Amino acid sequence: MAWLVVRLAISMSLLYTASAVFEDQVGKFDWRQQFIGKVRFALFDTHSQASKKLLLATDKNVFASLNSRTGDLFWRHVDKTGPEGHIDALLMYGQDAVVVVGNGRLLRSWETTVGGLKWETVLDTGSFQAAALVGVQDFVKYVAVLKKSAISLHDLSSGSEIWVENLPDSDSVQYQTIYSGGNGLVLVLGVVPNSHIVIVEYKIEDGEIMNKKSVEAAWMSSLESSCAVVSSGILLCVDQITQSLYTLPLQSAEQTEMRQIHLQTLDLEVVSGFRPVLTSTQPNPAQPPLSEFFLQLSPDHHILLQFKDGLIAPLRDFNPAYLAAFATSGERTVAAVMSPKNDTACSINLFSADTGRRHLDTTIIYHMDPNGGKPNRLYVHAFLKKDDSVGYRVMVQTEDLALTFLQQPGRVVWMREEALADVVTMEMVDLPFTGTQAELEGEFGKKAAIQDGLLPMVLKRLSSQFILLQAWLAHLWKLFYDARKPRSSVKNEVTIDVLSRDEFNLQKMMLMVTASGKLFGIDSKSGTILWKQYLENIQPNSVFKLIVQRTTAHFPHPPQCTLLIKNKDTGLGSLYVFNPIFGKKSQISVPALPRPILQTLLLPVIDQDYAKVLLLIDDQYKVTAFPSTKNVLQQLQDTASSIFFYLVDSSQGKLSGFRLRKDLSTELIWEVVIPTEVQKIVAVKGKRANEHVHSQGRVMGDRSVLYKYLNPNLLAVITESTDTHQERSFVGIILIDGVTGRIVHEAVQRKARGPVHFVHSENWVVYVYWNSKFRRNEFSVLELFEGAELYNSTVFSSLDRPHPPQVLQQSYIFPAPINTLEATLTEKGITSRHLLVGLPSGNILSLPKLFLDPRRPEMVSEQSREENLIPYAPEMPIREEWFINYNQTVSRVRGIYTAPSGLESTCLVVAYGLDIYQSRVFPSKQFDVLKDDYDYILISSVLFGLFFATMISKRLAEVKLLNRAWR
Amino acid sequence: MTAPGGGALATRGGATVRRMKWSLELSLGNSSRSRGDRQSKDGDVMYPVGYSDKPVPDTSVQEADRNLVEKRCWDVALGPLKQIPMNLFIMYMSGNTISIFPIMMVCMMAWRPIQALMSMSATFKLLESSSQQWLQGLVYLIGNLLGSALAVYKCQSMGLLPTHSSDWLAFIEPPQRLEIMGGGMVM
Repeated sequence: MAWLVVRLAISMSLLYTASAVFEDQVGKFDWRQQFIGKVRFALFDTHSQASKKLLLATDKNVFASLNSRTGDLFWRHVDKTGPEGHIDALLMYGQDAVVVVGNGRLLRSWETTVGGLKWETVLDTGSFQAAALVGVQDFVKYVAVLKKSAISLHDLSSGSEIWVENLPDSDSVQYQTIYSGGNGLVLVLGVVPNSHIVIVEYKIEDGEIMNKKSVEAAWMSSLESSCAVVSSGILLCVDQITQSLYTLPLQSAEQTEMRQIHLQTLDLEVVSGFRPVLTSTQPNPAQPPLSEFFLQLSPDHHILLQFKDGLIAPLRDFNPAYLAAFATSGERTVAAVMSPKNDTACSINLFSADTGRRHLDTTIIYHMDPNGGKPNRLYVHAFLKKDDSVGYRVMVQTEDLALTFLQQPGRVVWMREEALADVVTMEMVDLPFTGTQAELEGEFGKKAAIQDGLLPMVLKRLSSQFILLQAWLAHLWKLFYDARKPRSSVKNEVTIDVLSRDEFNLQKMMLMVTASGKLFGIDSKSGTILWKQYLENIQPNSVFKLIVQRTTAHFPHPPQCTLLIKNKDTGLGSLYVFNPIFGKKSQISVPALPRPILQTLLLPVIDQDYAKVLLLIDDQYKVTAFPSTKNVLQQLQDTASSIFFYLVDSSQGKLSGFRLRKDLSTELIWEVVIPTEVQKIVAVKGKRANEHVHSQGRVMGDRSVLYKYLNPNLLAVITESTDTHQERSFVGIILIDGVTGRIVHEAVQRKARGPVHFVHSENWVVYVYWNSKFRRNEFSVLELFEGAELYNSTVFSSLDRPHPPQVLQQSYIFPAPINTLEATLTEKGITSRHLLVGLPSGNILSLPKLFLDPRRPEMVSEQSREENLIPYAPEMPIREEWFINYNQTVSRVRGIYTAPSGLESTCLVVAYGLDIYQSRVFPSKQFDVLKDDYDYILISSVLFGLFFATMISKRLAEVKLLNRAWR
Repeated sequence: MTAPGGGALATRGGATVRRMKWSLELSLGNSSRSRGDRQSKDGDVMYPVGYSDKPVPDTSVQEADRNLVEKRCWDVALGPLKQIPMNLFIMYMSGNTISIFPIMMVCMMAWRPIQALMSMSATFKLLESSSQQWLQGLVYLIGNLLGSALAVYKCQSMGLLPTHSSDWLAFIEPPQRLEIMGGGMVM
């Protein structure tokens, strides 16, 4: 019976919290964008003229097919992260794409039209070196995979292994490339650095070694980067030290050393410090390569050369030229060369590969984005036009990972911002008011207004009202104008100029910082990229911290954001200050940071321009203030004694707290050492600065109050044991006061290990760990209460807290692994909280905090029912209707960002990983908004009806009264 | 609906001569008027204005009625007290759950004594004729106060009074923080 009651209670509570998106709400306030990452291999499907496919393999271990007309994804396969899913090579023949995955672990063949897997073969162990298609008599039948110590040949149609052979002397020789010219042989080329080259010939049929020879090459260190095979099996190498080209016929028995051709004899010279690059092309794997090749002598100098009868002749010199690439259509091979036109544009031209003659009318103008990076890869898709001339399209990849697809004469067909596949951190900023709103604000906001006198004030008021009237008329006109057009064409473009805050502040500007150093400003409503800015010279492993110093609330001061970029290698940081709405770099002078920066601290103190003060702490614990005007320094001196900061050094296991001195130096006030031999600090989190807590306590069943312990200075420190044995490993959590260093609470979860995800908010901490004893994920929640009475209800000071809080804890089983955890956030904190759980499946689960309540009773009582507490059940439910992103899964979700909107019920959510998903959640449903299906017509008609009925009956009653008076 | 009929009569009567919508006729000569008809039915004698043919009661106070007045006044004064047992019974029957009927009853119970207390002066006027006016007034007051106390007790037992700290929870402002703190992992 009791169990029945419990079940009933659970189902009732579920009924209350269950909410999902209706079918007609799909895509109404949410959007998803899918990305693939930095392109490593790109191949155009050339086997039919009408094909629109573009195959891409990226450094994010994604293998995808794009529609080359629109840039949309046809299909996408996301492999495992890390080296296990690394795509080593991509080869394509006809409808099949062969991919080598995981350092030569797997060989897969994909059907390119629908993206289905045709076959998969597990390869022998050994690190991957090269792969090549092997053809016999003009027909490609095999794929050869070269590993460090073995070569194997596989059938292209079934993946079955034809043969596998061990390479001779593989411990001394580094085998690096495969070459096959369609003559029944597979050649494996290896090198012993600074000694000689080894060439081994295998027979395709049975893998028999036909020939093996070694050639002196004392100057050579690596084959891969400096050699290419041209013409009918001529190995061509370039060396920058001797400034020479070397040639060697691979299959001739008589020549036993490489022929040296000095570059000087060709009037060429390699720029010092630049490693020259040879680019050859083999249009058909069953045929030998072309005898023409590109030699790159400096970053912007290419030259097209031809190898003929043992001699090398220059065909055409491209100086300057950034990029060059070959492309083949049918029997004709062309070379596309990108050369600078002026400061902002490049021109791409097509040249005939065999003569070096320029094709007429083939120029594509590529306009470089002034806020973007330089182009660094060029992919060419050549095709034969109806008049048998060669047409082409190009895809340009730039340093900032933007893919631009162009066609003649320079029309951008589509563009993809692949930098967004790796978002590091983000913020959301309110949009500014419209011009008219700002005009009104400005009228009353300016300080000078008072001094203006009466008449100018009246004039100013009149003029602003006139502007308002004008804007209103323009708005009416636009409505009228749009109403005549068909609905589909009205879809207005979002641009920076039309951006303005909507009445509920639901539309915001998303600032995204990506690992490549590109910043984006994205409209949260539509997902349109409104501005982008590439920061050059960002080290790949830099650490970013984005800080909003001034919001849009202080018109006419523009909003201001600061990005702290810290170089991991040198430790030095730099500041980039910009306007988050327009993406423009601010003119404000930035303090020089000569010392490595350890941490930052954003103070609620504002300067006379309403910018919050940012403190930067360097490795000598000195503080730099930004902005550092006199006003700010004065304020800092006044408040210095109440400014504290903490630093966590995970390598030394040390937590330390500092207090600011008046001269902007600091003093150490506390230190907690967690011995690194036993456990290491994994993460530390305080509370979010913009979090509001509406209710200071919880109402008990007997109508008394249990006050929350709302310490704004509380830190949650997560530690993991260094011992990873499943019996001895543990996860620890320490709640520590960041001002005094007092340890408020400590808990240890035995037989548990990370990765730990946690959220610290209000008076609770929720964390997830792996229970290695029971092999399951567990949620644990800690809640802190002050007790039945508040110690001090007016001010909170960490220095005066004599009573420790009461701590309650409960744990639950969660039936899925998780990727990330975040809590919803609303304007005033009245709405109940939900936890947003990013699952590896790509779904985002909105889990009511109600379920994670340590006061959930094991036995139902009158009081607990009064409190609406759900009886304790160890299993946490996962319901499909709690997935806020229905089928719009977010691949490899890495972070979730929540921001409050102007509506108390609504919280904006952005989940990012490989994809970006934006939506709104309503943890307590939309209690402050009328429903979508609210029947305005019925209500208003009833209202009007009643109104008229009242009028008429009033009139009738008057007449009747008069008549009665006559009686 | 005699007025339209009268109007019709008037127009019929005045088919040739235009008449006023209404007029006062002091002479009894015209017997075609309906009002005149009614008067003429009562009697043929013409009474002066203000004459009433009903006898006027004797308003002088009789000595024998004194006790009766006294009794009546005590009835008024004890009215609220007599209500109390009834109220107690209703309270017991309605229970402590918060739903529309108990709330309505509580409202009635609270409102009636308050109303009575507000119209105290009118009640005093009523009791003016009694010799024990002040005592009766006091009893009346106590009765009403008891009635309202009963209503308050009912509210209390229903939990409608903000007597618990939880009732004031929403008004507690978040405490102001004195220290500013920040930081994090060493970047």
